[in-house]
Amino acid sequence: MYQTKKSRVISLLAGTAAIVFASTAAQAETIRVVLGYYSAATQGLFEGMAKDFMEKHPGDEVKIEVIQWDNLQQRLTTDIAGGTEPDIAMIGTRWLVDYVKNDIAEPMDLTPEFKASFIESFLSPSTFDGTMYGLPVAASARAMYYNKDLLAKAGVNEPPTNWDGVVDTARKIKALGTDAYGFALQGKEIETDAYWYYSLWTHGGELIKDGKSGVASPEAIKALTLYKSMIDEGLTEPDPSGLNRQDIERLFKQGRIGMILTGPWLRGQIKADAPTLNYALSPIPEGTTKATYGVTDTLMVFKSSKQKELAMKFLTETAFSPKWRIEFSTKEGFLPVMKEEAAAPVFADDPQLKAFTDMLPYARFAPPVANWEQMVDAVIAAVQKVYIGQAQPEAALKEAAATIDGLIQQ
Amino acid sequence: MGVGGAVHRAKTPSNGKIGRASAPYLLILPSILFAFWIIGYPIYDMANMSVHAVNRFGKTAAFNDFANYQRLFSHQLFIGCLIRTLVWTVFVVGGTVLLSVPIALILNEKFFGRTLARIIIMLPWAVSLTMTGIVWRWSLNGQFGMVNATLANFGLQDTPVEWLATSTTAFPILIAIGILVSIPFTVTVILGGLSSLQADVFEAAKIDGASGWQRFRYLTLPLIRPFLNIVLVLNFIYVFNSFPLIWVMTQGDPANSTDILVTWLYKLAFRYGELGIASALSIVMFLILLALTIVYAALAMRNERSTA
Repeated sequence: MYQTKKSRVISLLAGTAAIVFASTAAQAETIRVVLGYYSAATQGLFEGMAKDFMEKHPGDEVKIEVIQWDNLQQRLTTDIAGGTEPDIAMIGTRWLVDYVKNDIAEPMDLTPEFKASFIESFLSPSTFDGTMYGLPVAASARAMYYNKDLLAKAGVNEPPTNWDGVVDTARKIKALGTDAYGFALQGKEIETDAYWYYSLWTHGGELIKDGKSGVASPEAIKALTLYKSMIDEGLTEPDPSGLNRQDIERLFKQGRIGMILTGPWLRGQIKADAPTLNYALSPIPEGTTKATYGVTDTLMVFKSSKQKELAMKFLTETAFSPKWRIEFSTKEGFLPVMKEEAAAPVFADDPQLKAFTDMLPYARFAPPVANWEQMVDAVIAAVQKVYIGQAQPEAALKEAAATIDGLIQQ
Repeated sequence: MGVGGAVHRAKTPSNGKIGRASAPYLLILPSILFAFWIIGYPIYDMANMSVHAVNRFGKTAAFNDFANYQRLFSHQLFIGCLIRTLVWTVFVVGGTVLLSVPIALILNEKFFGRTLARIIIMLPWAVSLTMTGIVWRWSLNGQFGMVNATLANFGLQDTPVEWLATSTTAFPILIAIGILVSIPFTVTVILGGLSSLQADVFEAAKIDGASGWQRFRYLTLPLIRPFLNIVLVLNFIYVFNSFPLIWVMTQGDPANSTDILVTWLYKLAFRYGELGIASALSIVMFLILLALTIVYAALAMRNERSTA
């Protein structure tokens, strides 16, 4: 008893000493990295990178902190307001514009060779006026997953490539009279807007055109009318505004959805939760054009950091080395962002992943405008009003466009 | 110190009197100042922020002629959220008190298993609001939820109902759950009031031929009135500012139709980075609550005085 107490006291003292020592002696060589939580693997991956880096740079220290994505923006906001921001942070690339506008993100001075090692389309979302402010860390595109067995039962052997085909296939699935639904439609919470952008973009619409909102354009109205008519015809699950992304993905995993539009992460979930599900991937259905939603997250360096050089070294030498990139993207289930990574056998030889990478040339990104989150909620409110039958597509979208135009002018 | 004080008092009696009268105040002065600082500083800071231009990272700039308030009052969602907040608060607080009084009366009677019944009523209190919200969110899920499964098992339902998909079902459900979680606290306070009542008064009334309803209406109710007042004011404040239930269950969806001021406030501050409008809204909510509480306290006091 006494022994444990004594050793506890000693370890406490040692701990205190370590803290005091660390905060005085190591101040010049410690960088703090705040990251968003993707999966249980995130912490381990970055701890591994930190260990690698510290071995190469003895005396320097990299501290990793992983935070839930839901709280990340709030946490960084409070940190910045209080002057306790880390040296490096992972952020949603669409937040970057606010960081640049408020002079919080450090411009990145990169060698042309290093820049050239990335797949080019992933660099543009973090480039403002020709200057890069962040490196794409996680990339995803969206594709259509379809239930092969369900489609075959309905007499459809090839997945539909356009919206007419989707409607047609969904009708056949409905005619089976089972508890399965033809087309999944997400109606609430995060990325409800994105689920509608697939339709908007493939119908030829734009989110922002000539500095004005494009969500009330004829293409946009057509895109939303299509979804509404599918709800009314019973081709989607009933009352979509009650289902978020996880809900429709769960239905797909249960074999109760014919077609669903979502990202690469669902592959991993199916492997774990529904290994017998017979599914395949195909591109997002076309309207008048091809499109998909490209999303990247970004690692950025804070202007206020006292160890910018070391922070940049951590990114360029370790975090964005091919070894760690491949490790990260395969473990987290993201698409490769660097050329060497994409050429690696794990990615190049995966036919399912090809469905996503083939779509990359058509990928659209969230426009780099301020007040993006508020615009998203205006769009979500508009599509929800239409899904629950509270407003007509044109009226709801016009209201959203007016709100967005107001936000652009702000 | 005691001895020193005594000697001092003995020497200068007049000074000692003042010293003795003010000593308690002097002694609690540091605590009072500290409390004022703890409570007052955030209010001051918030008020200060609400009249300045603020960026999304909380850096305040110039005074901006109450532009934050102007933008708040002219915002298309403000009036809707305000009305819903009042509906939400009135229904939850009203429903809670209406249900809690009979529950407390029953629990105050002596019957077999009363302790168990009291524990069951109090138990939900031990569960955090967030947990309650998550459990209900799962139960009400249209495709996988327990509520629909039960209804379907009893043959009461052919197609699944998405309870949280429209505000016509979602908002009443939120109010009902709001009532459910407010009952334990309210019952506890009323029960405390009931157990302080003197039995002989009721016996005398019974002998004089007062009916059960008359005893409740003219004895119990006036006697537990102070407790009801406390419960009303505290519940009003809690429910008005209640964030977790609505946030967990609907996030104000669909199309802001279940948003109340506090959930909208959270979106403004932490999702949209509109700290200026958000701080203005905080001040408005603070003033609404302050005004209502003062008016209610004044009314309650006047009532008490007139009945006394």
